[in-house]
Amino acid sequence: MFDIENLKINLIRLFLTLIIIFFTLILFGISPFEVFESIIYGSLGSYSKIIRTIIVWTPISLASLALIYTFSAGMWNIGIEGQIIMGAVGSTLVARSIFGDDFISPYLQIFMAIIFGAFWGLISAILKVKANVHEIFSGLGLDFVASGIVIFLIIGPWKREGIASTGGTDIFDKASWVPTIGNSNFPLFLLLVIFLLYLVSALVIKYSSLGIRLKATGINIFATERFYFTSDKYIIFSYLIAGGIAGIAGFSQSSAAYHKLVPSISGGFGFLSILIVLICSRNIYFSFIVSFLFAALIVGGSQLQIRMGLDHSIIGIIQATFVLSWLVLQKLELEKLISQKITKVFVK
Amino acid sequence: MNIEIKNISKSFGSIEANKNINLKLKSGIHALLGENGAGKSTLVKIISGQILPDEGNIFIDNNEVILGSPKNSIEKGIGLLNQDPLDFSNLSIFESFLIGINEKNPYRNINKIRSKIEKLFNNYRVTVDLNSKTNSLSIGERQQVELLRLLYNGAKLIILDEPTSAFSLEQKKRMFDTLRQLSKDGIIIIFVSHKLDEVFEICDSASILRSGKLVENIIQPFDSNKILSVMFEKNEINSISSKDFDRKENFIINFSKNDLNNQVQISKSHTIKQGSVIGIAGLQGSSNDKYIKNFFTKEFSSTAIELENNKKIYKTFFYYMPADRLEKGLFSDMNLLEHFGLSETSRTNIINWNDVKEKANSKIKEFDIKADITSQINELSGGNQQRVMLSLMPPDKSFLLLEQPTRGLDINSANKIWEMILQRKEKDYAIFFSSTDIDEIWEYSDVIISVSGDEIMNIEYKENLEKDFIAKYISGII
Repeated sequence: MFDIENLKINLIRLFLTLIIIFFTLILFGISPFEVFESIIYGSLGSYSKIIRTIIVWTPISLASLALIYTFSAGMWNIGIEGQIIMGAVGSTLVARSIFGDDFISPYLQIFMAIIFGAFWGLISAILKVKANVHEIFSGLGLDFVASGIVIFLIIGPWKREGIASTGGTDIFDKASWVPTIGNSNFPLFLLLVIFLLYLVSALVIKYSSLGIRLKATGINIFATERFYFTSDKYIIFSYLIAGGIAGIAGFSQSSAAYHKLVPSISGGFGFLSILIVLICSRNIYFSFIVSFLFAALIVGGSQLQIRMGLDHSIIGIIQATFVLSWLVLQKLELEKLISQKITKVFVK
Repeated sequence: MNIEIKNISKSFGSIEANKNINLKLKSGIHALLGENGAGKSTLVKIISGQILPDEGNIFIDNNEVILGSPKNSIEKGIGLLNQDPLDFSNLSIFESFLIGINEKNPYRNINKIRSKIEKLFNNYRVTVDLNSKTNSLSIGERQQVELLRLLYNGAKLIILDEPTSAFSLEQKKRMFDTLRQLSKDGIIIIFVSHKLDEVFEICDSASILRSGKLVENIIQPFDSNKILSVMFEKNEINSISSKDFDRKENFIINFSKNDLNNQVQISKSHTIKQGSVIGIAGLQGSSNDKYIKNFFTKEFSSTAIELENNKKIYKTFFYYMPADRLEKGLFSDMNLLEHFGLSETSRTNIINWNDVKEKANSKIKEFDIKADITSQINELSGGNQQRVMLSLMPPDKSFLLLEQPTRGLDINSANKIWEMILQRKEKDYAIFFSSTDIDEIWEYSDVIISVSGDEIMNIEYKENLEKDFIAKYISGII
C-alpha cells in the first residue's frame, strides 16, 4: 500500500527544496537558520502555539483532501474557496439558531456545513456536466458570490446589535465552539476529524469502486461508458464529496478559529490547498504532511516579526519558493538521479 | 498546364507505400482509386509537398517541383483540399482569403481584393456572404469556399482527398458542378475517393493503385467489374479453424427503417443463430463503426438487438471495443492492474486487489500480453493494447461489439487477435465486428452486413452471398 520508492523521491525533493529556500533567504540578506528556528519555535514552541497550528492545519488539510477528490476526477475545483465559505455560513446558521446554546450545536453545525459546501460544489458540477461550463469559470464566479453572501449577512441580517461593520457577527455561544477536552482548550475533536477523514479517504481511493472510477474519469471521460458507468455521474460525486469536506473546513474556521463569521472566513486556505495538492500530485499521505508544514509556516511566521523584525510577507515568499522549486524539481526529475546514485552507493 | 510524376517511391520502415509511380496528366478530372493502404494518401502528400519521397521527381509545365516543400508546391500551383476543411473557423470568409493571399505588399488594396473575390464567387455561382463567419457555413459550403480560395491563390492543379465524405446529396451536387466548371477552365483535378459511383459520375480518367504500385490507367467509359477486380487484391490468409457448433437459441436484430437503403428490399427484422460472427463491411468513412457502437449506446439510430421470448437485455451484456484504443478504449495513464480493477467495478463496490492481481496475471499470460501489471497503457504497442482490450472481456455470456479489431495490426498480430476472438464463439450470444477489409469480413463472418455511407445495403448469411458482391454493395452499387 505504501510506495517506498515514491516516498524516498519525495523526501529527497523536500530536502532539495529546503536548500533552494535556504539560498533564497540568503539572497534577501536574511539568516536562514534564524528564520527556520523562529518558524519552528513559533509553531510548536509552546502548548498554545501547537493549538494554533492545529487550528490552521485543519482547514488546510481538509481543503487539500477535498481537492484530491476533484483532481482525481480531472476537475480544477477553483470553487473550493466558495465551498469553504458556504460551509462556514451553514455552521453559523446553526450557531445563531435555537440550537446555538445546546451541546448538540457543533455536530449540527458539521452536518449543515457539509450540506452547504456540497451544494455549492454541486452547482459547479451541474454547470460542467449539463451546460459544459468550464469548472474554473464557474468556481471562480461562485467564490465571489459566496464572499458577497457573507458580507451581505454580516452587515445585513446577522449584524451585531447596533453596529453594522465588516468586523464580523457576534461571537458564538460557547456551546457552539468546537468541543475541547475537559477544561483545557485542546481541539482533540478537530484532530479526530482530520485523522478519520484521511483514513476513510485513503481506503475509499484505494479499495472502492468509487476511487478507481474517479481516477478513470479524470484520465479519459470517453472510455468510461465502455466500463458501464458515466463520467458525468462521477464528476458530480467528486464535487459533492469535495464540497462536503470543504464545508467542514469552513466549520473549523467559523467555530474553532474565529468563533464568529467574518468576511474573509476562508483565510485563502482554499487557494493554498490547490498549491499543496499540485505539489503532492494527489498523493493523500503527502498532502497530509505538506499541509501540516504549511500550517506551521503560517503560524510560525508571526514570530519572524517579533523576533527578527521581519515583515510577515517573507512567509509568502517562502511558500511561493517552496511550490515553484518543488514543481521545477518535479519536472527536472533530479531526485530520481540522486536516488539512483544513493542506491548505487549503498549497494556498493 | 501539365503535371508529370516520375518514378516516385516512398517506404515507411518495411512498408513500401509507393513503388515507382509514373503518371502524366494534361487536363480533366482524374481519379486515384485503391483500397485502404494502397498508397493513395502517400502519393497525394508527396505531390502537395507534405512528405518527401525516397526517389523520383515531379514536373509542372516541365519545371521541376522542389519536393517536400509545401510552400514550393503552392507556388508551382498545386492546391490540396483536405477531407476535413482546414480553414479558420472563427474568421469571416473574407478574412480567411486575406490570410491565404500570397503577396508581400503590406499596402494592399482591400477593396480591390474584395471585388476580385466577389467576381470569382459569381463566376462559380457560389452564393455565400463574404462577411459571414466560416463556422456558420455547412461543411459542403466550406469545402466550396476552400476550393475557390485555392483557385484565387493561383492553383492550377487541385487535389481533393475524399472531399464528399461528410456531404449531403445537395452539397455533393453543387460541389460537382463547381468541379466540372473548374475542369472546363483548364484546371487539372485529382480526385481521391473510395466511392466508385462518384468516380463514375464525374471523372474522365482514373489510375488504380494496389499495394503501392500504379497497376492500371483507365479512361471513361469505366467497367465497374474490372475496376473492382483490379482494386481489391485477392490475398490468402492462413485460415483459422473454428470448431463447428450447433446452438439452438437465436437472437434478433431489428433495423430502423431509416438505416436501410430504400432502393433495396431488406426486411426490418432478422433472426440470427446465437454464436454467429457478424461482420459489418464498409469503406473507410462509412458508418459501419457507428452501427457497432450503436448496439451499445443507441445514440445513432434505433436499430437494436433483441433476445427471443422478450428476455431483457442489460447494458452489461455488451462488451464494446472501440477502434480508437487510446482515445476511447483505455486509460493511458493507468496501469494494467488498475484496468482490471476498473472492469471489476460493474460487479462489486469493494475491490480486492489480491484477487485482481491474480486475475490480471493469468489474463496477461492467456492473452500473451508483452507487459506486466505495473505497465502503463501508453507504454504498450498497438497490438498489445488491443490484447489488453480483449483480455478485459467479461467472463459472462456477452454480445461482443468489436470496432475494426485488427486495425493497424500486421498480419501475424491480426491472426492472433482473431484466434482469441473466435474462442468466444461457443459461449457468447454473438460477435459483431466492423472492418474495411473485405477479405477479413469474408474470412471470419457467418453473417455479413454491407454498409455504404450511412445506409445498410445488404444483410445475408455468408453461404448465400458471393464475395464480389460485397465490394459492390459497400461501393454503393446495387
